[in-house]
Amino acid sequence: MNGDSDREIAIFTQALKISSQKREAFLERSCAGDEELRRKVEALLKAHGRLGTFMEEPPSGEAAD
Amino acid sequence: MNSCVAIEIEHPQNPDGAGRTDELSSAKRLMTHMSDATVMLAAIEAGDPKAAEQLLVLVYDELRRLAASKLAQEAPGQTLQPTALVHEAWLRLVGDQNPSFKDRAHFFRASAEAMRHLLIDRARRKQTQRHGGNYRRVDFEEVDLAAPSADDHLLAVNEALDKLSVEHPVQAELVKLRYFGGLTNEEVSQVLGISVSTAKNYWTFSRAWLLNEIDG
Repeated sequence: MNGDSDREIAIFTQALKISSQKREAFLERSCAGDEELRRKVEALLKAHGRLGTFMEEPPSGEAAD
Repeated sequence: MNSCVAIEIEHPQNPDGAGRTDELSSAKRLMTHMSDATVMLAAIEAGDPKAAEQLLVLVYDELRRLAASKLAQEAPGQTLQPTALVHEAWLRLVGDQNPSFKDRAHFFRASAEAMRHLLIDRARRKQTQRHGGNYRRVDFEEVDLAAPSADDHLLAVNEALDKLSVEHPVQAELVKLRYFGGLTNEEVSQVLGISVSTAKNYWTFSRAWLLNEIDG
């Protein structure tokens, strides 16, 4: 379980550093046929693309500005 | 919510009795709590599982008190700043007794969890009020009625965080410390015993994970 968690995080973190053209090949290689893992990482990468300031403000910071 | 945590949120015990503001008793209370916190930290370090829960209740009580007085002093719309509250609680409960590195870690874990309870409880109450509850302003929960979406957002994050803690417990702990406890990357990395760059990676991962969970 912990190994799975580490692997998922490591692949996600590494994928962020790779240009989008090379990402596909990187995921193919590092997920090595584990479709479940690949699906998870791809969803995370997609979410990362629309993070914006999500959770960057303190939880009650809505009235700060 | 963490299952090992049982805080009386709806009717917090106030050992001083309601409305008592006598300075002497307040100072006495604080001194008692200071030594309580120190004793609890030592007990946690010694492996006493009950001490962690006791510390959590103590910290919750102190944070709640601080939050109430902050919100009473300041303008309407004022929000709670976890960073300021947690560090003030630290000074008040542990102070400059030169605590060990491990004591700091235990304290910040407890205060992040307490702050989470406090903010979630507050968001739930405000949500209940908006859905036909009464608007009698008797406590700090009622003082600052923020935009509904902010509370809904907070509750959604909290719910997703419970799921994150099942799949990625360390990362969920990091989110609690950083988001609810208001700790910096440096402080979080010390508490969790990881490097600052790992803490940053975990934070990015967790935000993406939570956002995907909320509206993926």
